Amino acid sequence: MSKSIIEQTRNVARREWKRMLSHPIYLLAPIFAMLFSYLFFLTMMSEGFPMRLPIGIVDSDNSSMSRTLERNIDASPQMEIVGRYASFTEARKEMQKGRIYAIVDIPPGFQADLLANRQPSLSFYVNDAYLVAGSLSYKELTYISELISGFILQQSLQAKGGTGEENLMPILQPIAIETHQIGNPYTNYSVYLSNVLLPGVLQLLIIMFTIYAIGVEMKQNTTREWLATGNESIMAALTGKVLPHTLLFTLLGLIGLFLLYGVMGFPMNGSIVWLSLAMFLFVVSHQSIGIFIIGLFQRLRDSISLGVFYGLLSFSFAGFTFPIEAMPHGAHIFAWFFPIRYFFKIYVNEALHGAEIRYSLIYFAGMMAFLLLPILIYNRLKHTILTDEREEIKNSIFNEQLQ
Amino acid sequence: MNNSNRSNIFSRFLHEIRRVIYIMLDEYRIILKDSGLVVVFLGATLIYPILYSSIYRNETIYDMPIAVIDESRSGESRELVRRLAAPPALRVTYQLNNLEEVKEPFYKQKIHGVIHIPKDYSGKIHRNEQATVSIYCDMSSFLYYRAMMLGANLGILETGKDIQIERINAAGITGRSAEISTAPFRYEKNILFNESMGFASFLLPAVLVLVIHQTLFFGITMLTGSLREEKLAIIDPHFRQKGKYFPVIFGKALTYLTIYIVINAYILLAIPRIFHLPHIGNPWDIIRFFTPFLLSVIFFSMLISVFIRNRETSMIIFPFFSVVLLFLSGISWPQSNMPWFWKIFSMLFPSTFGIQGYFKINTMGAALDQVRFEYIALWIQTAFYFVTTIFAYKLVTRTRGRS
Repeated sequence: MSKSIIEQTRNVARREWKRMLSHPIYLLAPIFAMLFSYLFFLTMMSEGFPMRLPIGIVDSDNSSMSRTLERNIDASPQMEIVGRYASFTEARKEMQKGRIYAIVDIPPGFQADLLANRQPSLSFYVNDAYLVAGSLSYKELTYISELISGFILQQSLQAKGGTGEENLMPILQPIAIETHQIGNPYTNYSVYLSNVLLPGVLQLLIIMFTIYAIGVEMKQNTTREWLATGNESIMAALTGKVLPHTLLFTLLGLIGLFLLYGVMGFPMNGSIVWLSLAMFLFVVSHQSIGIFIIGLFQRLRDSISLGVFYGLLSFSFAGFTFPIEAMPHGAHIFAWFFPIRYFFKIYVNEALHGAEIRYSLIYFAGMMAFLLLPILIYNRLKHTILTDEREEIKNSIFNEQLQ
Repeated sequence: MNNSNRSNIFSRFLHEIRRVIYIMLDEYRIILKDSGLVVVFLGATLIYPILYSSIYRNETIYDMPIAVIDESRSGESRELVRRLAAPPALRVTYQLNNLEEVKEPFYKQKIHGVIHIPKDYSGKIHRNEQATVSIYCDMSSFLYYRAMMLGANLGILETGKDIQIERINAAGITGRSAEISTAPFRYEKNILFNESMGFASFLLPAVLVLVIHQTLFFGITMLTGSLREEKLAIIDPHFRQKGKYFPVIFGKALTYLTIYIVINAYILLAIPRIFHLPHIGNPWDIIRFFTPFLLSVIFFSMLISVFIRNRETSMIIFPFFSVVLLFLSGISWPQSNMPWFWKIFSMLFPSTFGIQGYFKINTMGAALDQVRFEYIALWIQTAFYFVTTIFAYKLVTRTRGRS
């Protein structure tokens, strides 16, 4: 009995494989889409940390002090002064055109006031509409200002005498901050994003192609033939159907892990084996979701709309850009229904934190729970497959012309 | 003679207009009768903006849970902890004794930051030495990192300033001049266009434009695929009258344009006002800017639809491209840091200019002449995709006609 099930499954899988080969787009589209995404995201952010962000300066003082300030800013690898403007209004217009992410405004009399101890003030304007570029310029400009005022303080202390070199640091910076950025010491943006965006693309493709693989049989009225190949066993028909896709998508997923941790050298403080296992579960749990959706709607066109909707929401509910805790309470619960959420947690534990596996087991279990989904709609799907009902051609007015 | 000639032209013109209107109404009929198309054109455009605005409405993370390890257990260290817990960004949920204890909550991802005050902290402050405080950041999300940097760094810097003044006093500089020594100049940090540094204010404008772009694309390709599939037409049934390209293309374009003028007003003008997203732009400029945007998206989609054979094809293959388009627009990873080939690639898609233009007008208050580059680019795309659509239609009808 069990042997025959395996044989039936193999027959269905062989049939599916032939279908994929005879419709190259069916086989090549997911491969191309996934490889394109790897190439796209990994080369797009290959710089890791955005350098030489264009900023502008309004120097109304035009003194040796203001020029020193300018040189200091320009010396920062993170920023580059690309424009000098006569007024703030003019600079602001350039900012609205998106050409500069920040403006440094030095008022007239800056140097004179500084020398006369009148504590002048300068202003930064940062465009945080572009959150990444804005936040980075903000941080860097603050850092440079602190550095310069520390430098001035140092000079005045030394001028006063009595303060030796060894006593300077405790005054300049009484508390030193040692920052440990766990798992991503260089604030690499690609690490933040690519690690989850790429599995995100993969899950979209898995869901859509699973829905399509089953839905197209319904649409083309070939469910009977499909079932016959599996010797009337729904179990064999379904397993054989998705198996070639499981192999294909797992392979694509593992290629991704190889690119991320092997080629790009992204941090991996845990075990790549556990993450690979998580990737496999990621693939089969999304296939289960695909089966569930098509079983629920029983029609290709409706299933596809829901599949896209769910697949795109996955990006939000992974919680990697905007944390789930920061969402309204009502939204928290939804995060449970996306395998990508569990995959994200496992990735954080393995790649970034290097936590022992016992902390991740619960997330593995979470992904496995999705494998139960096909059972829920088993009867419904069976009914659809057995009923030889052609999806009627509808909607179009040209229908009438056909008859 | 002359008169009759003119009336002849006039009646021909009238005839063409009537054809355009006829085709437009017919297209409306097709859309309204097809529940799948209604879902894309009216359902998705209605739901997505509300959904995303709701998920991200808190803009940033508040009260992020962190742990404090206070090994100094002194008045000084308690003062520091009190200051760190003060800002709205952080909340101390664990007071622990050593770094070993912190593993459990950190690996369970219950805390996203750790502040470690070593044993010698207060001693060093009393001895006028430089004390060190360590902070550990969870790097799994940019917002965790930013909350930690803004919250913890600020608290530590502030405390450091107080100690600095005491030490300068001790060095013989007192009163106002001590204050001036610690801060020889002040710097004002101004955040423009997204004052709260919020995530929704940053991401949503791009998502809104993308919703318009993608629903139009999926709707148009789905409709064309549907018509072709039902073997009623090569591209469009009206092409059975050979050579009549212009009325068909204009008629169809007019359908989408009229539907999307209403949808545009809802998504681009109403949604930002309902959900308190940035909206300092001139609504009239937005409407004018989005005219070439809609036209270029419509013709772009019509061009691609020529190659789409089935109703479901585009919805299965291309959803992942929404994420690619979001990154191509240059609002997340800065345009200034994009590899040149992706910058050129991005110019193929109306979404790039649409998102940038909407950002600049709506979020940053630019006038239409400040987004001239994007505006002209969209008109060029409109012309380009219009002409290529005609050629593609011609090509396909000719080759299909022969076979």
